Amino acid sequence: MLSLTEELALLAIEDDGAIAYTAGQTGFGMALVAACLVDLNFRGRLDADLDAVHVLGTELTGDAMLDLVLSELTGQPELSVEQWVLKLATQVPQLVQLALKSLLDRGILAQRDTRFLWVMKERRYPVIDGKEQKEAKLRILAALLGEDIPTPHDTVLVGLAGAGGLLEGFLSAAEIQRLEGRLGEVGGIDLIVRGAEAAIREDQAARARAVMLPMF
Amino acid sequence: MNQPASGFKATQESVNGVVVVAPEGRLDFGSAAEFQRQLEATIGGSDKPRGVVIDCTGLSYVSSAGLRSFLVGARAAKSAGTTLVACSLTTSVREVFAISGFSRLIEEYPNRQAALAKIG
Repeated sequence: MLSLTEELALLAIEDDGAIAYTAGQTGFGMALVAACLVDLNFRGRLDADLDAVHVLGTELTGDAMLDLVLSELTGQPELSVEQWVLKLATQVPQLVQLALKSLLDRGILAQRDTRFLWVMKERRYPVIDGKEQKEAKLRILAALLGEDIPTPHDTVLVGLAGAGGLLEGFLSAAEIQRLEGRLGEVGGIDLIVRGAEAAIREDQAARARAVMLPMF
Repeated sequence: MNQPASGFKATQESVNGVVVVAPEGRLDFGSAAEFQRQLEATIGGSDKPRGVVIDCTGLSYVSSAGLRSFLVGARAAKSAGTTLVACSLTTSVREVFAISGFSRLIEEYPNRQAALAKIG
């Protein structure tokens, strides 16, 4: 079974193997960091509450993404989820590379180098048979269109896919708007996801302030 | 693994076919799995209860992992067609339920009597 972090990264791969535009946005990066924190929580290396992330164990997990995040947390003063997500955002490029490598190693993605406008190199990651990606999308749709309460894994996946702008990859804007109520009801029922959402809002507000400031 | 001692326990009793589960202490990673198993066994057991009330009077703390055990319990109750409600939430637990969005999935009552009356 894929980790939450791997599934989230897989959702950022478009049909032609290009990395989705949204994956370059900070919302996706912060959602990926949050997925690592939730995976570490599932594996008993940390727990979180409304005030702080608590490291419970420093034993490596064997997953390069999770171990990178765990090493960043180890020995540091306790911070809130929101603060950690903002702080770990600097690690996102490396986390994305590790996630892609993990999916390549599992045989889920291939790697293909092409040229854009005959000059610029472009690397694509076409999905090999699409089974895992399709399954993740179907579970998200089942959570959003059904009436059941999703599993803890799926509620986090739905919440982080929403926060990271990944739903746009397979749902239209009108469908997302129609499902907004259900998304709010079953997406991200988790303290780490809520912390990540707060971090994304804070980051967006800071960027808006930075853009507006020179105007006055 | 360096897990904190949770000092957690959950007692339960049956009141006219409704099971009242009363967790006490800190519900965190160290105690969440056991509480989750208890809820799943209660809801999915052979003596299917008419409803389940989680009386949170003695519950002082819920972490992310602890919240997950409530979510699994609510999911199990919904698929079994059993009413699951919570009552007597402390301020800190109510805050966790509200901020996480879990309070949208479960009905909350001020005390055990009100919760039992709801299930009828």
